[in-house]
Amino acid sequence: MKKDSMAAVMSHKDRKKSFWVRYIAQIDLQLMVIPALVLIFIFSYLPMYGVLMSFQDYDIFGGFFHSPWVGFKHFKMFFDSPDFWNVMRNTIVISFLRLLIGFPAPIILAIILNEVAHIRFKKVIQTISYLPHFLSWVIVSGLAMSILATENGSLNILLEKFNLINEPINFLSIPNYFWGILISTGVWKEIGFSAIIYIAAIAGINPEVYEAASIDGATRLKKIMYITIPGITGVIIIFMILAVGDILSAGFEDILLLAKNPVLQDVSDVIDTYVYRVGIKNSRFSYAAAVGLFKSIISIALLTIANAVARKIGRSLW
Amino acid sequence: MEINKKSMFLILALMLSMSVLFSACSKGDEASNQNKVVDQGDAGNFILGETPLNFSFYGNYDWYTMNPWGQDPATKWIQENKKVTVEAIQSGGTALQKFNTMIASGKLPDVIWGDRGTDVEKLRMAGKLVPLDAYLDKYPNLKKWAGDKTLNMLRSEDGKLYQFPNWYTKRPMGNGGYAINNKIYKDLGSPKLETFDDLYSYLTLVKEKYPKVVPFEVGLSGQGIDFLYAGMSEDRTVGHLMNRAIPDGNVLKSLFSDPVYRESMVFANKLFKEKLITQDAITQTRDQVKEKINKGMVAIYGDFTTTVMGTEANSILKAKDPEDGYTMIWPFHKEGVDPKKVWVNEFDSLGWNVSVITTAAKNPEGIFAYLDWLTGEEGERIIFWGPEGTYWKGTSESGAPLYTETYANDVEERTKLMAIWDTFQWAGNTTFIDESKSVNEMNLPEDKRDWATVSQTNVAWKTSFDATEFGNINPLPDSDEGIIMQQIADIADQVRAKALFAKDEQEVIALLDKAEQDAQNAGYEKLLKFQTQKWQENIKKINE
Amino acid sequence: MRTINSDRIFIILIYVFLIVMSFMMLYPFWNSVVISFNTGTDTALGGITFWPREFTLENYKVVFQDKRMMSGFLISVLRTVIGTAISITCTAIFAYGMSKKHLIGRKYFMIMCIITMYFSGGLIPAYLINRELGLMDSFWVMVIPNIISVWNMIIFRTFFLELPEGLEESAKIDGCGNWRTFFSIVVPISGPVIATLSLFAAVWHWNDWFTASIYITSEHLMPIQTLLQQILSSNIMSEQMMQTNAAAQGHMASMQNVTTKSLTMSTMLVATIPILLIYPFLQKYFTKGVMIGSMKE
Repeated sequence: MKKDSMAAVMSHKDRKKSFWVRYIAQIDLQLMVIPALVLIFIFSYLPMYGVLMSFQDYDIFGGFFHSPWVGFKHFKMFFDSPDFWNVMRNTIVISFLRLLIGFPAPIILAIILNEVAHIRFKKVIQTISYLPHFLSWVIVSGLAMSILATENGSLNILLEKFNLINEPINFLSIPNYFWGILISTGVWKEIGFSAIIYIAAIAGINPEVYEAASIDGATRLKKIMYITIPGITGVIIIFMILAVGDILSAGFEDILLLAKNPVLQDVSDVIDTYVYRVGIKNSRFSYAAAVGLFKSIISIALLTIANAVARKIGRSLW
Repeated sequence: MEINKKSMFLILALMLSMSVLFSACSKGDEASNQNKVVDQGDAGNFILGETPLNFSFYGNYDWYTMNPWGQDPATKWIQENKKVTVEAIQSGGTALQKFNTMIASGKLPDVIWGDRGTDVEKLRMAGKLVPLDAYLDKYPNLKKWAGDKTLNMLRSEDGKLYQFPNWYTKRPMGNGGYAINNKIYKDLGSPKLETFDDLYSYLTLVKEKYPKVVPFEVGLSGQGIDFLYAGMSEDRTVGHLMNRAIPDGNVLKSLFSDPVYRESMVFANKLFKEKLITQDAITQTRDQVKEKINKGMVAIYGDFTTTVMGTEANSILKAKDPEDGYTMIWPFHKEGVDPKKVWVNEFDSLGWNVSVITTAAKNPEGIFAYLDWLTGEEGERIIFWGPEGTYWKGTSESGAPLYTETYANDVEERTKLMAIWDTFQWAGNTTFIDESKSVNEMNLPEDKRDWATVSQTNVAWKTSFDATEFGNINPLPDSDEGIIMQQIADIADQVRAKALFAKDEQEVIALLDKAEQDAQNAGYEKLLKFQTQKWQENIKKINE
Repeated sequence: MRTINSDRIFIILIYVFLIVMSFMMLYPFWNSVVISFNTGTDTALGGITFWPREFTLENYKVVFQDKRMMSGFLISVLRTVIGTAISITCTAIFAYGMSKKHLIGRKYFMIMCIITMYFSGGLIPAYLINRELGLMDSFWVMVIPNIISVWNMIIFRTFFLELPEGLEESAKIDGCGNWRTFFSIVVPISGPVIATLSLFAAVWHWNDWFTASIYITSEHLMPIQTLLQQILSSNIMSEQMMQTNAAAQGHMASMQNVTTKSLTMSTMLVATIPILLIYPFLQKYFTKGVMIGSMKE
């Protein structure tokens, strides 16, 4: 408390000084960020004129300076497209499912791993759980196809053995199953890799706190609730904010490879797969760029809202 | 909150305007290198083998990787004897992006190899391609083997020829068809297999006697289902389904309202519903298909690559039991349809794809000379079977290489080498290669003959429809008609799959009605008109 | 006593869960290994699960005989080591600066960074800029444009913000500037986050095949993942090629029969295993108490 008020007084004083005096005074601090900002400017901002493409009928030979301007034509086309509402619905539903299931899963894994006292066992499990991250979607989907196949698919064979079903289920062609398959393969593939950051955060918690709680006779569950989780809340909130900003990116390669049956399009088509199919594959670059820009604007808006909410709890990005 | 938003947009706007300025500066000097004079190629005679020739080559496909030049016997021979060196520019699995960055930066490769259509047309309209007409008479092979009709069809709107065709042909070709499992067929008493009724009762019999076997394996994406359309009526070909346009007199009509298509979908639905068609038809991978046919777990196998996939499966099964294996049979048809008019394959004289020479090439005539040599007899022999001495020695009267013992004995190494050489085959001459193969096959005793060649000569090529007149009838994808076509393609893919999973005939019809309506709303008529016009132009060109 | 009992059940549940989970995750990987040691033609018959049926080293021979693979491997190692080292150092310094509340312009810098996470001008403008900078067909194109990762900066910053304030106060009293405080106090106690983000950066560098496939033309500069991608895409493409004509279908099928599933798997494993080995090596930095221990010194 004391420190805070002191800082407030200090900064008030500072403000009276001229900008440059204050700036020079912290030049060593500024030098920590300036080079990075220059790099960001060169590699991210200089190419940003590319977004202008969404307002043009971009002609690859003419480049940005000789392509005709068409205003909001491509945006209108996207909003008027018969697929628009379906695509938006799928994107949002899939993203919410990912937030609901895919987001907490690695946190839970990290917490559980923290409870394992046997160090070698823990290390082995950690390493194994991060393996699937390194299998490309091409290989993972090939595997999923053979497990979920109707003829000789392992899952169907298993279910039949236990008499749970009478005849094989065509998992990859029934729309009702698709979201479940998509989310669970995603969790399976990324849970271990995503958990690493939370494991690192838990490693930062002072072990003396746990010791003190043990002496007080706290159960493991209690320790998780009152020490582990609060200890990593900062990291969780930051990831939550970033995840909210990504709501319109519901997946791409995974969906493309798992939803091979056109029957699934009603539930599988999301913004990114739609842009690929309609825009990129047909060389309609401006259209793809327009949808991309729409996505970016919504993302930034969502991020701003999430950030404002987070600020109320005292943690925010800016 | 308020301040945040404001400042964010301020920064964004500032950055945008700055970056535009920056890029404007850097763009200036580029325009000057781009306006290179188009080389008409009258630089004098080029003699292949005397002047060294170097050029860069880009294959515009994600899956295409050119093998290193000069590392195998064939390209080494070419390097030494013809003084040709090719530098590969690889797509690295991202052909589309690679192609676009090359264009945007004005640094084109000397030769681009890829599909006809959009990309070639764009390059041509931007003046980036070298016309080949001036060289046609100087170098004899392309003109001789492809013929004027094919070359006319390849000409662009300005009347000039820019595209050097690959796997063009004067005779029917194809790999698709039905193959039956010999052992199962014999066990079930070798019934007559000709009409769709025969097919249905045979499949039912298989299902009953061999519950573990897939009665009808339709391959990747359910390709075999499209054969049902081809057999429902005379002169229906699988190409109609790909163009989503049915010829009727001299106009093209809607696929979804076509009674023959409807009938074939109802039949497909019936087979699928009764589990006579593989239940993984649409979702399965190549590995899954391979596994089933190589194990002999299918009674009838049919897709567009039957002769290719069937060869391996046939030899695996034959090795275990000489009675086993596959036999390609004449396509099934509806009762009353003339079997000679059932087409499960189609070919066009234009072949598969093309090479184009860009204005970046320093010696376009030299490149043409090389491609022309490659498509001629000597070039084809070297690039398909390797230099003389290993796999062939001497030639027949027609120029066909005569196989050596090594050809028959050294299968593993040969297969590997031939696959490597396949990546250098940019000017494939189907007529020559196929005739050469059959010359050698006919020299072999019957049981030693290549399964694929036998199947092709006996069935596949005889059931292949000449679809040259339907070549290039589709619009550019970013045109108005192209946008419509994309929507129609989506509708067609969906209705095909949904019809398969429908619970009864009425639902199939209802789905097709709905598809027809959706298609009309998307502007199907406009697309069909466009395609009809292109088609009629083609017919004129062919009859010229 | 009751608490101990419930704890015991809890622990048993956790172990069972973890063992089942790791089996589900290990199996596909193990299966890939097994397939890579099985002959290609036999693999095509399916049914290979825990053990090779027709054992062979042929698939690995083919991979190691390919000269491109060996140089690709070397390039991948180089770019991963150099790229990660530079990127983590620069990003951590940047994040430390951004974690200071009194940094002038902090909020604007942050917004400027976040915008880049969502708005991008696309490939072509980036390509033109890299070309202007002379990065075409250069090793550095795989390193320089990716030095600063905004995402990593945010994570670093979050961790730095959680550091106990007392630490830095004492450093200041000792007369340390920001840079010295960062290197002599903050870095030593940030083991877990540095290890984590180094791992992420290394994995990213190792797996990134796209940059090289666009910007690199010289064969000797191709990283191994780009080569692997070529093989994988040749496999997947043929399945999406239904629309092409018969001539294409036949040819692609015959080009492909040579690259069997077994060969794909052996290539994939050769290209993946080196990066997998990093994690166990870094795990010691995740142990509890690293930070506290150094604090007491």
